[in-house]
Amino acid sequence: MQIWLIPAYILLILTGVFLLYLAFKTEDRRYIYLAVAFYVIFPVLITLKLPIDISPEARQLYDAVESLPDSSTVLLTFDYYPSTVAETEPMSRAALRHLFGKDCRVLTLTTVPLGGPSIAERVTREIAKEFGKVYGVDYANLGFKYNYVAVLKGMGNSIEAIYPADNSGTPLSEIPMMADIKNYNDIDFIFLVSDNGVVDYWISIVNAQYGIRVGSGVTAVMAPKFYAYIGSGQMTGLLGGMKGAAEYELLVHKPDTAVKGMTAQSLVHLFIILSVIAGNIVFLSGKRRRKRGAA
Amino acid sequence: MNGINNTIRQFCFGLIFLVLTVSFIQADSTDTSIDSTVAKEAKTDSVTVSAASPGIPEEPPDVSGTQSDSGSLFQTKRINALVLMTIFSVVILLYTKWAKAGKPLFVRKISGLDQVEEAVGRATEMGKPVLFIPGLQEIDEIETIAGISILGQVARITARYDTPLMVPVRYPMVLAAGQEVVEQAYIEEGKPDACDKDTVRYVAGEQFAFTATVNGLMMRERPATNIYMGAFFAESLLLAETGNAAGSIQIAGTAQPAQLPFFIAACDYTLMGEELYAASAYLSREPLLLGGLKGQDWMKLLFVVLILLGVLLAGLSMGDWYLSLFESV
Amino acid sequence: MIVAFFFNPERSFVGGLESEVLSWVTIVGGFTLLLGVVSLVRVNYSAVKRKSEDWIFKLATLISVFVMAIPAILPKNVSSLFGRDVGSIYDWLFNYVDAPMMSTMFAMLAFYIASAAFRAFRARNAEATLLLVTATLVMLWRVPMGEIALKSIHANLPYLINTYIMNGANLAVQRGIIIGAALGAAAMSLRIMLGIERTYMGK
Repeated sequence: MQIWLIPAYILLILTGVFLLYLAFKTEDRRYIYLAVAFYVIFPVLITLKLPIDISPEARQLYDAVESLPDSSTVLLTFDYYPSTVAETEPMSRAALRHLFGKDCRVLTLTTVPLGGPSIAERVTREIAKEFGKVYGVDYANLGFKYNYVAVLKGMGNSIEAIYPADNSGTPLSEIPMMADIKNYNDIDFIFLVSDNGVVDYWISIVNAQYGIRVGSGVTAVMAPKFYAYIGSGQMTGLLGGMKGAAEYELLVHKPDTAVKGMTAQSLVHLFIILSVIAGNIVFLSGKRRRKRGAA
Repeated sequence: MNGINNTIRQFCFGLIFLVLTVSFIQADSTDTSIDSTVAKEAKTDSVTVSAASPGIPEEPPDVSGTQSDSGSLFQTKRINALVLMTIFSVVILLYTKWAKAGKPLFVRKISGLDQVEEAVGRATEMGKPVLFIPGLQEIDEIETIAGISILGQVARITARYDTPLMVPVRYPMVLAAGQEVVEQAYIEEGKPDACDKDTVRYVAGEQFAFTATVNGLMMRERPATNIYMGAFFAESLLLAETGNAAGSIQIAGTAQPAQLPFFIAACDYTLMGEELYAASAYLSREPLLLGGLKGQDWMKLLFVVLILLGVLLAGLSMGDWYLSLFESV
Repeated sequence: MIVAFFFNPERSFVGGLESEVLSWVTIVGGFTLLLGVVSLVRVNYSAVKRKSEDWIFKLATLISVFVMAIPAILPKNVSSLFGRDVGSIYDWLFNYVDAPMMSTMFAMLAFYIASAAFRAFRARNAEATLLLVTATLVMLWRVPMGEIALKSIHANLPYLINTYIMNGANLAVQRGIIIGAALGAAAMSLRIMLGIERTYMGK
């Protein structure tokens, strides 16, 4: 660690403590907002290289994808809105790097109408370029269709019945890789990246009824819910939030935005903990004072 | 009445016999009519699973197999779902029937729902409106239907006290359903003219555009009471914190487990999970609805017994046949 | 759909019927999006016409709807600015106006969480104290700096948190809530299908 970082981070801590003191004194929550903003902006200028432990759930997902034979077909979903790209897009990128690195054929789709198809298009093309992959041969984007329950169920019979054409309007019959991908029987693994409740439907409709393994990357807020699915074996691996994305980036040996974001996330978490502890100290000392006063 | 009880008893015994027969068949079964998709099994059997955490099973359960048992008309592997669905339906209907016959049914106190009338009263005293959000999903989602049902009850209270009501919605179908429910509530309270056409308003189809609009509404109108009943997602904390900053009393209810912590932290009362679905029965106290609620509780008790039995059998290493009864296909 | 679940779609007519119904649902569902646009335009247009409060923002809403939608539905062979492909007006507006605004709103959660945690995590009683301690441990566990801090107390502490909190208490509670909510939803659905529950229709 560079020596000049030490005074920088001491200054950082003192700033946080000072803003917290002002928040208590003036009872104005905006000082807390200011402190959070400060702790998010500061690491953009000075990023620390932090050791990141790989969780067993992320390891499980990585191992499941790694164990797929090369040239397997994987369905990668972009089931997230642009609002959560900070957490979910790094997962999509890392997943695509892993899949293209293994020469897997990647079929992408989205159940999110707003932004899903554009994000899928942009991200897959960008990563495909890194690996020299060809659209229609190595990957295809099916885009969006309304009513995800109908879509998920319908693809069990025929993908072409639900998506007659891909996102650009090319009929599926004209896409070479779709010649032998007709329904779920031709898909080896489903990698969900999602920020909404559609994951439950993928599990209950696709995994439960068609038996295809499903792994997912979700936002940090949603992740605790899916430990139940991991425990029952219905989900094979889980990435939770930006930390999960950072873990997967390290597993595929390509640290990217999620790893960089860990510094900011660490600082904000530590600040919140500090503010909670300080708040409790003030609360408990006030309670003791009132009790003494009453006595 | 005795005749009905006998019929019910016989039906229940028949169901238990059916369950035992099916379990015997499944435990012994080498069902050759199933196309077990050998190609798929070959693809999925090379899994290496990291078992470094006790939460991760050492081997994923065998869920291989196609959706269709090609050869047979009836999907025999799904008979467990049929049996559970039948038991569930019978129990709900039985309790509904008993409730209709006048049997008294106890429902525990749900403080959030008890406070709804008081919260509306507070708004009336302060001369401020009540804000009600029936969730951010479409009308075909069960949480939204639950929210709209509660809206009907809340609209009756606001009609009674002449309190202004604001109901911003995210989808046009929810708008239509909400308008219908609010108008009906005002008619039932004998105040059809008091119902404002713009009580239920469509604000935006996008999640955060909706949230920004509602936050602006809260900061401008300063409603005394905010009621959030339905499906909420990332915007739950944005709405609840803004409501808190505006000084409103807040009652929330959602079945989204991920959002419950935010509502619990920021709202005064929170209904968790099934309490949201029980709300319409609880508020209306209609015997039919209460009967359904009781039936649902008995089903939960049945599941608890089944789970405990499974834990016991698994602990004694005798659980494989029992687990096979609940395999989902 | 419930009946079709129990029958082999390849051996019975319900399979074909189910596929047909699902296709129709997808098609008809697309029209409800149109209904939303019509409703939005109607409400905002009448507000602009009447020059009601904040009508200028409602005008901005209407302009946004048409500026975004019209170039997207025009044929792309007329101009590369039309359609929804990369480089079109729709794509540009989405990537440089809409997406940043959505991200901004979501990012506000960080600030709101800080103030909510500051206010809500008070050791008022035993349960609240337990909540406070658990939340602190999990928040530390989720970030690298926190993991370093936890490992300085005990090398296995992150593993223990994952095992006993996330895969233990959290898993059990989430299962309970999911099962309860699912049963509630199933019971309500049954009541609606049988016509017992009609409160959502205003009856």
